Amino acid sequence: MMDVGRHPNIELYTYSEVTHVEGKAGDFRVTVRRHPRYVDEDLCTGCGQCSDACPIVVPNEFDAGLGARRAIYSPFSQAVPNTFVIDRESCLNDDFLVCENCRKACERDAINYDVAPQDVTISVGSLIVATGIDVFDPYTMKTYGYSVSQNILTGLEFERMLNASGPTQGHVLRPTDRRVPKKIAFVQCVGVRGENDCQYCSLFCCMNSVKDALLAKDHAPEIEEITIFYSDIRAFGKGYESFYNRTKERDYIKYFKGKPSKIVEDPASHDLTIYVEDTLTGKPMEVVSDMVILASAGLPSSDTLKLADVLGIELGQDGFFKTEKENAQLLRSTKEGIFLCGCASGPEDIPDSVAQGSGAAAGAEKYVADFRLPETEEEITPIDVGGPPRIGVFLCHCGINIAGVLDIETMEEYVRSLPNVVHVQNDLFLCSDGSQKLLQEMIKEHRLNRVVSAACTPRTHEPIFQETCARIGLNPYLFEMVNVRDQCSWVHSQEPLLATQRAMDQIRMAVARAQWLEPLEQKEISVEGSVLVIGGGPAGIQSALDLDAQGFPVTLVEKEKELGGRLRFLDRLLPENVPAVDLLQRKLAQLKASGVRVFTETEIKEVGGFVGNFEVSTTKETLKVGSIILASGSDVYDPKDEYDYEKYSNVLTNMDLEGIFAQTDGGEALINGTKPKRVAFIQCVGSRNEDNPHCSRICCPTTVKQALRFREQGTDVAVFYRDMRTVGHGAEEQYRAARGVGVVFIRYPDDQKPVVTKSGKGLRIQAFGTMLNDTVNMEVDAVILAAGMVPKEPDTNTFKEMLKVPRSPDGFMMERHPKLGPVETTTDGIFLAGCVQSPKSAAESMAQASAAAGKAASLVCRERIKLDPTICRVNEALCRGCRTCVSICDFHAPELVETSPGIFVARINEALCKGCGTCAAWCPTEAIAAQHFTDQQIEAMLETMLEEGL
Amino acid sequence: MTETETKGVLVIGGGIAGIQAALDLANSRVKVYMVEKAPSLGGRMAQLDKTFPTMDCSI
Repeated sequence: MMDVGRHPNIELYTYSEVTHVEGKAGDFRVTVRRHPRYVDEDLCTGCGQCSDACPIVVPNEFDAGLGARRAIYSPFSQAVPNTFVIDRESCLNDDFLVCENCRKACERDAINYDVAPQDVTISVGSLIVATGIDVFDPYTMKTYGYSVSQNILTGLEFERMLNASGPTQGHVLRPTDRRVPKKIAFVQCVGVRGENDCQYCSLFCCMNSVKDALLAKDHAPEIEEITIFYSDIRAFGKGYESFYNRTKERDYIKYFKGKPSKIVEDPASHDLTIYVEDTLTGKPMEVVSDMVILASAGLPSSDTLKLADVLGIELGQDGFFKTEKENAQLLRSTKEGIFLCGCASGPEDIPDSVAQGSGAAAGAEKYVADFRLPETEEEITPIDVGGPPRIGVFLCHCGINIAGVLDIETMEEYVRSLPNVVHVQNDLFLCSDGSQKLLQEMIKEHRLNRVVSAACTPRTHEPIFQETCARIGLNPYLFEMVNVRDQCSWVHSQEPLLATQRAMDQIRMAVARAQWLEPLEQKEISVEGSVLVIGGGPAGIQSALDLDAQGFPVTLVEKEKELGGRLRFLDRLLPENVPAVDLLQRKLAQLKASGVRVFTETEIKEVGGFVGNFEVSTTKETLKVGSIILASGSDVYDPKDEYDYEKYSNVLTNMDLEGIFAQTDGGEALINGTKPKRVAFIQCVGSRNEDNPHCSRICCPTTVKQALRFREQGTDVAVFYRDMRTVGHGAEEQYRAARGVGVVFIRYPDDQKPVVTKSGKGLRIQAFGTMLNDTVNMEVDAVILAAGMVPKEPDTNTFKEMLKVPRSPDGFMMERHPKLGPVETTTDGIFLAGCVQSPKSAAESMAQASAAAGKAASLVCRERIKLDPTICRVNEALCRGCRTCVSICDFHAPELVETSPGIFVARINEALCKGCGTCAAWCPTEAIAAQHFTDQQIEAMLETMLEEGL
Repeated sequence: MTETETKGVLVIGGGIAGIQAALDLANSRVKVYMVEKAPSLGGRMAQLDKTFPTMDCSI
């Protein structure tokens, strides 16, 4: 967020809307109306005195109405920009009344009530629509009593309640009596999936409730019972199923399958009675709870209709923006040059939203590739850091995340007494825009040459602080961060005194280290402007096409004889039932017309080099590329003898059936030469079990799609499932349609798989139906196993070694960050696309492939990149050339160089070195030093730690 | 009415998806105009307390 606010290439118009668009792809003219904030952005410091003076109190939208704000306000502490705004709807000043309290309170004279809206015209090559999602308001639902009882909250309201900076400062309190509830109930699918509701699935609510159930107990250990009433738990994304499994182990969390019919509040006690059918016995049940959280559905953003009109793009039946149909492109709208991402085209979870943002950027870039801005760098005069250390220490409250446990005042007093500390300050949110500016001012005012912050995790926030220092000329490596949130206040929340003591010890160590910090300079290296894409399935082809469209040289390598990957064996593709063969033909035609160099029947032999300068030898030729996209796909799970798959020819997998459907050419599908009268599908074969705990995501939508095809030809269908996870655009609608045409869905218990036996020419399937509370016996002509996806072997392991990209616990390739870096890897310059990272549909794979292309483009569009200087260096005078470092480095960074005849010394490749320090620790002559983690720095920390004892 | 000269990309919406799109474009040396109807960036994700499974702060 802050990165956007301060990026030199981004012009930000907040409190603004697009009112008019004309022109076509490559040449749009857009009118943006800027609504007046009535507060001057240049003058406002965000001090908040205006807000304190304002007499008007209204509900705060940011806190979902649970908290309050004034008529002049900043929506939240870390808002970007940090300028206040007057909500003129509730402000007292109008033609007849004069209040002007805020104007009088503002010391900088930043407030002016007479500002008119301003129209700005911008010329752009393309547009990206990322309008997000609104939340269904259950106020009108009579059955759930949201309008009657204060103790019923929506998921978003509860989320704000859990937030340390929210209306209750993170305390879970029952609104009517402000005491901690003993029992909480979550009700899923509110506003969706019912008879009169939206037909789609909101996708994110299941995991949100699962997470909130865990967090609620963390925040209030007094909670005794949390019940989640669900229809299907849709833990479909990467790592979701194992997270869900972890919550099932908690004895206070109960999962109850069933959708409550009504919720009634007792007027005296304000307790809530939930009426629900026990799906095991079929009997009505009443469950009493102190609080109820409604997992409210996502709705199209309120301005979707208006914006569709302004942009001239179509909406789908669900009210979201419609995606391009013919090529199953989730990121394209119905008009060329206008792209969609995140929830604009339907509910998405965070990783997919992030990936789609990158993917839409890659698509949009094609239209402005000739208008790239020059690589400019601001000239900043470095601050002189010579002389004795002058250390500034900044203590962050992180709302109550830190200050709720640690005694900040005591810490501040203690830190003042530490050697070389010349300034100490505390702040509610050190990461907010205003506080970062203040930090810069303090550096100047107190001539600080070292900065220490005691705040949250360096993993997400160190780069922000370093950038803040760098922007005023303080070398970013003179900044040191202590994680007193994760390591003190969070883990020791029950021991505030000891936690405070520990925080003080850690800060003392950081201060000791800071004295020895040295400024480091980033070295620049050149970048090859080309990209290698490994794998010629839908993902690989899409990445290659996107990069080619932007003018980058691309090589696509496929080990098989033909391109297309699994697309070659599929029938029709979700969400729009486009024939896979047609899509593939179009993609191949595009590829032929493009400048992409394609090598089939080619394998990767070796990958050397580093970010910007990879050297890849293939069985055809050796390539030099700046970046690599890995799109080598996954395998379909082979059931082998499971359900006698290998024994009987009428036991098939989804994939086998796709092949049969694809060859019918619109006619009837035959199994073993005859049209089946009745078939049964078994879900979760090879997924969600001990060997493969992950959910394969695509099998439920595929089964539903195939069941509909069978019904078209009159074949009866039964589906044996655990949770129907019809995830993805249009899939839930198809699930509903399948039930409408008589497909029977039978839920079997997690620990009791159906049994398939031979019966005459056909098969008999026996299973316990949990919703029927009875055993089902069914004679069928064929059984279709919904076999999930598994990592491709041995390819995945080969690429793990070759590219130094780790694998996740599920065996798929690991992304840099599950939420914020879904296509990047821990190896710079290497990106992931498609099923190699986790199971996905073809459309989803292509969307992610665009994201990978976008990431690769941002790298190779630059002539030079900067390297992280926190690496290891060799003092060649001390090096004996013993090879220890060469043999232990996982990244192949050190090599021996003959400096004079017979004399070898180690040299470390700066681009390959990760700065882990292993070689520095092993070096017998202490010739290697880890920059930024020198022996001196670490010894200083240890000494001061032992001095007073932890 | 003011005019702008460079041809860039317009991103409508300053939530997590829009922010990611804008940053990627800007880092690819493309001029980005971001329009957000609310007074601040952040969208829905900024309203969330923590995100699973890493439990990182949403902001």
